[in-house]
Amino acid sequence: MFSGQKMLIKLRHTIEVLKATAVATYKEWTAYRSHMAVSIFVGPVFFLTQAFIWRAVYSSRTTLNGLTLEQMLTYYGISAVINYLTYDSADWDLQMLIRTGQFLTFMLRPLSYGYFAFSQKVGHRILAFWVELVPIYLIFFYLFKIELIPVAPWWALLSIFLSFVLVFFTNYCIGITAFWLTKTEGIRRAFLVARDLAAGTFIPLTFFPEIMQKALFFLPFQFITYVPTRVFIGDYELVGLTMSIPEIVGLQFVATLVMYGVSKILWRFGIKRFTGVGA
Amino acid sequence: MMTNFRLYLQGVKVALSSRMAYRGDFFMSMIIMLLVEMGAPLLTILIYHNGASFPGWTMYEALLLQGVFLLAKGIAFPFFFGIVWNTIGRVQEGTFDLLLIKPKSVLFLAIVTAFDSEDLGKLLGGITLFALSLSEIPPPGLWEWLQFAALFFIALTTLFGFALILAGLGIVWIGNFRVYDIFESVVNFGKYPAALFSKSVQTMITLIIPIAILGYIPATALLGKPAAGTWSAVTVSVVFLLFSLWFWHWMLKKYSSAGG
Amino acid sequence: MIIKVENLTKVFKSYQRGNTFGEAVKSLFVRKPIYVHALKGISFNIEEGELVGFLGPNGAGKSTTLKILTGIMHPSGGKAEIMGYTPWKDRKKYVAKIGAVFGQKSQLLWDIPPVDAFYLNKAIYSIPERSFKKTLHKMVELLGVEELIKKPTRQLSLGERMKCEFIMAMLHKPKIVFLDEPTIGLDVIAKDKIREFILEMNRNGVTFILTTHDLDDIAHLAQRVIVVNHGEIVFDDSLTTLRNYLGVKKIISVSTMRPLPELRLPGIKITNRISDYKAELELDLSKYELNKFIALVNKSSTIMDLSVQDPEIEEVIKGLYH
Repeated sequence: MFSGQKMLIKLRHTIEVLKATAVATYKEWTAYRSHMAVSIFVGPVFFLTQAFIWRAVYSSRTTLNGLTLEQMLTYYGISAVINYLTYDSADWDLQMLIRTGQFLTFMLRPLSYGYFAFSQKVGHRILAFWVELVPIYLIFFYLFKIELIPVAPWWALLSIFLSFVLVFFTNYCIGITAFWLTKTEGIRRAFLVARDLAAGTFIPLTFFPEIMQKALFFLPFQFITYVPTRVFIGDYELVGLTMSIPEIVGLQFVATLVMYGVSKILWRFGIKRFTGVGA
Repeated sequence: MMTNFRLYLQGVKVALSSRMAYRGDFFMSMIIMLLVEMGAPLLTILIYHNGASFPGWTMYEALLLQGVFLLAKGIAFPFFFGIVWNTIGRVQEGTFDLLLIKPKSVLFLAIVTAFDSEDLGKLLGGITLFALSLSEIPPPGLWEWLQFAALFFIALTTLFGFALILAGLGIVWIGNFRVYDIFESVVNFGKYPAALFSKSVQTMITLIIPIAILGYIPATALLGKPAAGTWSAVTVSVVFLLFSLWFWHWMLKKYSSAGG
Repeated sequence: MIIKVENLTKVFKSYQRGNTFGEAVKSLFVRKPIYVHALKGISFNIEEGELVGFLGPNGAGKSTTLKILTGIMHPSGGKAEIMGYTPWKDRKKYVAKIGAVFGQKSQLLWDIPPVDAFYLNKAIYSIPERSFKKTLHKMVELLGVEELIKKPTRQLSLGERMKCEFIMAMLHKPKIVFLDEPTIGLDVIAKDKIREFILEMNRNGVTFILTTHDLDDIAHLAQRVIVVNHGEIVFDDSLTTLRNYLGVKKIISVSTMRPLPELRLPGIKITNRISDYKAELELDLSKYELNKFIALVNKSSTIMDLSVQDPEIEEVIKGLYH
């Protein structure tokens, strides 16, 4: 067989696994769509609190930190919508499988668990697309009047896609820690809080003191929420540094690659521990 | 009563020692439980540090309000709010029946088996935030303290009411831990001065669902500028507690009559 | 030879942990390592088409062996070659060729019907459509689960679920199948069905390695038994040999017209003296022949009724574990 043909077969197999896993996950979660739909209530309610707080804060001024009230609310609206697209529970799923021992059933199949988990995320997010995202998008767009149209749609899509992948790798790394720690709830939640904070979910990163902004610039987390949101809005700025959209998306691509590498290395060590090499 | 109390202490001890077996994760979790609650204070600090403010409130007054809220949550979550996850988890796994076959009240057993040690981090955070912001404002008088104590107690009973409603929901809405998200999103309004919100929201959070009582109302009493409508808010809280008790028993009846 | 195992060893390192509150707090700071020798050098060979039972008390090393042979765990030492592979190297290529049912760990997806999970494995193992349909049809029929595979897994009974686990594990037509406690918790009817299925597959040439606590499984299925205890193989031969291992014994219950004598003779062990006229006893045929025994008792007490049985397999195994 030609090596080209071999590769084609391998590629087809890879796509088949993605499809089958995504379909199975989609069906699995359909049973819980009412749980997912809770977001349609929770998302807008959280946004409302934010809107009231910022309206009060802005009552005596027109700009804060270079942002108008409208821009501020747009930031929150967009970042919320992006989070519904990129969310996953790869960390939770993996640590659960390890803790219950069910992880075995994956080792017994000719399959890379990481790829399986990623395919699960695809299926899960496709369901979330119409259960969470579409209703919330409509509420934000028509009820709260948030400008939810990206300035450069293709760049925004690309940036959101990279964030989708990046979130997966970061969460996956957290899940891998379950190979060492019997209980990972603590570190998991610690990480999620730190991640959300550093990603700009609570507040735009430009609100942090300068020294923290500098640190945040070099961490991969800004690429999770802050960068795609700014790309969506159409300009990027941090630590007084402005960058063009292609530049920052390029950096985001690099960060995603780095996280991929980190997850690969962690996985190698984790699986070694699981299989008891050298023990 | 004494045996019940002893039983409760036993539950706390069991929960603590089994939790201690996982080294590292316990302390980590406690710190995290504190950190997840720091969202609102952090937002507040960042707003004030960027030169803006909540109209009519100094930063430390706002932080005191959030400290009161966190203190109430810090007492509720480890000591009785655990009935929510306990009930949802047990109904999902089918072990809720084990509570029904014991010679004690189901509600009491659901509390005893739900002590949540890592949430003690919230209590720690609440005490710290409360004490720190208190030291930055003029010390309240005895009368303010008394009012505060009474209102704070009402805040705790209201949180108990919330726990009952969420746990009751968990009986019928199987396996849905997202009831916590619903709770968090709704009580988020209680972490800020009520005056920030529109009139209709203010009415909503004082006179319909008792949310302002969880932080805003006790805090204003302590600051010596009691909020208008404090008495009606207290009344609403009492009604809310009665309603939630009835709701829990109704859901419980539904569970046992559904059978199997 | 399809499986060749040579001198497999495994050492686990774990930490001491206290039970009381005080000890638990202390364990946060100081930990004492403990080394456990789970396997102390295990060797055996298995031919294609064999159905081998692995027996042993809890913690004997059964699961460890199974985990190593399925490529999940690395041994501390020794060799294993299965179908030309070393299981713990080249995991993906190896596990594509084997099947496994771990009674306590499900491959099915809880909220959706088994058939959807089957399709997932179809993709994972790259099973061609035609072969998939054919195998599925055959196994569904054999196990009688036509209707069930379209119902959500959570609505199935344990037995029904286990049947589907078997299908899931065998859709890709593995040559070797590892079974870990496959009938645990099942009722008699489900057990029978599953045993029938295993035998049928075995007749078609599939090699099975079965670990279980259920000696009935062994009695119904295994031609060969390997008994592991304290990390070592203490027995490896046919089931008949196993029964004879501790001497050829018979279980006898007898009732007589006149009182029974003391019967304190080598090879005779009274296990239960019900009355002067009735008793149950164990007879070691290598020391005392059956016809001699009957003659003896008849002469002294006149036999009214007598039954002779083979000892329960449990008893034999218990003897081995000691």
